Amino acid sequence: MSNNPIIKAEGLSKKYILNKNTSVPSDTLYGNIITGVKGLRSLTRKKETEEFMALQDISFEVNRGDRVGVIGRNGAGKSTLLKILSRITPPTSGRIEYIGRMASLLEVGTGFHGDLSGRENIYLNGSILGMSRHEIDKKFDEIVAFSEVEKFLDTPVKRYSSGMYVRLAFAVAAHLEPEILIVDEVLAVGDAAFQKKCLGKMNDVSKSEGRTILFVSHNMQAIQKLCNKGLYLNKGKMHSFGEINDIVGHYLQSGEAGQSEFKLPIPEEITHGYAHTVFIEDMAGNSLVEIPVGDNWRAKVLFKLNKPTNHFIMGFGLVSSFEQPIRTSWSAPEDLTAGDYEMIFNNDDLMLTTGVYTVVVGLSSEQRAFQYVDNVVSISISDAGDTSQNKRIVNTQSGLILNPMSVNLKKIN
Amino acid sequence: MNKDKVIIDSHLGSFFSFKEIIRYKSLLNNLAKRDFLVRYKQAFAGIMWALVKPLISILIFGYIASKINSTETTALNFLYVASAILLWQLFSTIFNEVSNSIVGNANLFSKVYFPKIIIPLSTILVCLVDFFISLIILIILFIVAGQPVHWQIILAPVFILLTVINGFGIGLYFATINVKFRDVKFIVPVIIQFGMYISPVIFSTTYYMERLPTWVHWLFCLNPMVGAIDGFKYSLFGGNAIYDLNYFILSIGVSFLFLCIGIKYFFKFERSFVDYI
Repeated sequence: MSNNPIIKAEGLSKKYILNKNTSVPSDTLYGNIITGVKGLRSLTRKKETEEFMALQDISFEVNRGDRVGVIGRNGAGKSTLLKILSRITPPTSGRIEYIGRMASLLEVGTGFHGDLSGRENIYLNGSILGMSRHEIDKKFDEIVAFSEVEKFLDTPVKRYSSGMYVRLAFAVAAHLEPEILIVDEVLAVGDAAFQKKCLGKMNDVSKSEGRTILFVSHNMQAIQKLCNKGLYLNKGKMHSFGEINDIVGHYLQSGEAGQSEFKLPIPEEITHGYAHTVFIEDMAGNSLVEIPVGDNWRAKVLFKLNKPTNHFIMGFGLVSSFEQPIRTSWSAPEDLTAGDYEMIFNNDDLMLTTGVYTVVVGLSSEQRAFQYVDNVVSISISDAGDTSQNKRIVNTQSGLILNPMSVNLKKIN
Repeated sequence: MNKDKVIIDSHLGSFFSFKEIIRYKSLLNNLAKRDFLVRYKQAFAGIMWALVKPLISILIFGYIASKINSTETTALNFLYVASAILLWQLFSTIFNEVSNSIVGNANLFSKVYFPKIIIPLSTILVCLVDFFISLIILIILFIVAGQPVHWQIILAPVFILLTVINGFGIGLYFATINVKFRDVKFIVPVIIQFGMYISPVIFSTTYYMERLPTWVHWLFCLNPMVGAIDGFKYSLFGGNAIYDLNYFILSIGVSFLFLCIGIKYFFKFERSFVDYI
C-alpha cells in the first residue's frame, strides 16, 4: 500500500452559536422583530448568544485500510467530527482531503418511509446513501437475503416489527461499497445476535476488502476488536491518536470512560464469604461503560464463599441519583457449598431514563446479612445513540421509567 | 490520483454542478417516486384527485369570467381560464412545494451527504406529473369546444418550462429563508393567493391594461407569470394574447432574474443548512 493518506484532516474546528435568549422564539420573523425592538429600546444591543467550540484544531491522517475507532465521552465532539467528515456540515475552519467514495451511516434507515414497501425502501434508501440504480439492482438479492425479510418485501415497512425494520435498514447500508465508510453507533440497535452479525459484516468489509472505516462507539470491546487505530476526543480537542490498544488504554485510565468493572471493597470481617467484583454488560456479555437508553443490560456479580452457606440470598438494588431506591431484586434462596460463584441480574424489562444510578449489593445467609455494599458501583444510562431509532421511547425526559403503560380506549355512549 | 479527490474546507457556499446532479440521478428519481407514491397511498380514488382541484377552479373562475368578460363566447372564456389556471396551478404548487422541500426533508440531509438541490428538483418532477395529468382536462375542453389548434402549439412547452423556472427560482429563494424563518410556510400561500389576482389568470393582460393607469403597466409586467401565461395562451389560441412585446420580454427577463437570485441565494447557504434547521 502507498504511504499516501486516504484522509488528511488539518486543524478542523467547529463553532456553534448558542442562542441564550429563550423567552422569545428567535427562529421566526416575529421573534427576530421582538428581539430587535427590545434591543433598540435598551440601546445596549448586546448579542445574547454564546459560542461553543464543538471541535478545536483536530488534525490526523488515515491510511488506506485503516480502521479508526473514535472514542470519547458524550459531547466530546465525536458526532460533529463524523458530520464534518461526511460533508453534512462544514467546518468553521480547517480542511480535509480524502480520496475516493465516502459513505456515512450516522443512522440506519435514513429516509425510510413507512408507507412504502420493503422493496421500494431498499431503492430509496440505497439511492440516498449514494448507490446507483444499477448497483442496487445488482445487490438486491444479497440485501434481501441478509435482511431475512423476503416474505414481506411488498409489505409497507410501517407494518414491520422493529427488528425487521432495523435488519432491512442495516442490510442496505452493509452492501454499500465505498472506499471510506463512516459508522456512528448503528450497532446500538437490534438484538445481540443481530449486533454480532453487523459487527461480523463490518469486520469482513474492512479486513478482507481493505476498506477504510471510521467507527464511533461506546463499546470498547467492539472497537478493540474491529479497529487498529484510535482517535480519542476530549471536550472537542484531540487527546491522542494512535494504535487502538494504547488509545483505549488512555481512555480507560483517564477515568472519563466510566467503568464497566467494579472492584468491591473486601469486608473487614469475613464470615461466610464476600462479593468482590461487579460487571455491567449487555445481554450478550459485552462490557458496557454506558448503557444506551432503552437497551437491556445485566449486572454480573462475582462472589466467593469460604464455607457452606445455607439459605443464601443475594439482593441487588438500583438507586437513582436523587437517592431514590428504584428496584431491588433478590435471588431465590439456595444452600451453597464453598467456592467461587457468579450471579447475574438481568434488567430486561425496565427502561430507565438517562442518568447515573448507583447499585446496592447485599448478601445474606439464613436471614442475616453478612455483606452490604453501596455507592461503589454506578451505572450510567445515556442517550448516546439516536433514540429516535428506538421506537419504544418517545421522549427520554418523560419520566424515570420509560416503559409505556398499555392503554385502552372505549366509547361508553 | 486516478480517484476523485474531495476537499472540504471552511469556505461557505457551494455551486451548481450538473456533474453532481447526474451522479445522484437515481436519488432524484427515487425521491420523486416516493413523494408520488406516498401521496396517493391508501386513497381509493388515487390519482383522480389530481384532477379535482383544477376542475373546480376552472368551473368557478370560468363562470365568473364568462359573466364579466362578455366580449368572448362562453366556451372561449372557459378555455382561456382553464389554460391559465392550469399553468398558474403548476407555478403555485412548484413554488409552494419547493419552498417547503428543504425543511421537509431535513431528516435526510442531516444524516447523509448529497447535493441538496436534488430535493427541490425532485419536487418539480412530482408537480410536473400532476400538471400533465391535469392537462387531460384542457384537451377534453378543446375537443368539446371544437377549438382548432394552430402551429404556435409547438411553443407551449417553452412556456411550461418558463413556468417551472418561475416556481423554481422563487421557491428556492423562499426554501433558503425557510431554513431559518419558518414564517415562510405561512407567507407563501398568501403570496400565491394574492399573486393570482395580479396575474392574467381570470382576465387577460389586455383586460387589466385597459383598466389600469399607464404608469402601472410596467409594474404589472414585472410579474414573471405574466409572460408565462400570456405566452402559453398565445401558443394555444394565437391572436393577440400578448399585449405588448416589450412588456412580455420584460416579464420573461424577470423570470430569469428570479431564477438567478434563487440559485445564488440557495447555494450561498446550502452547506450550512444543517446548522440552522
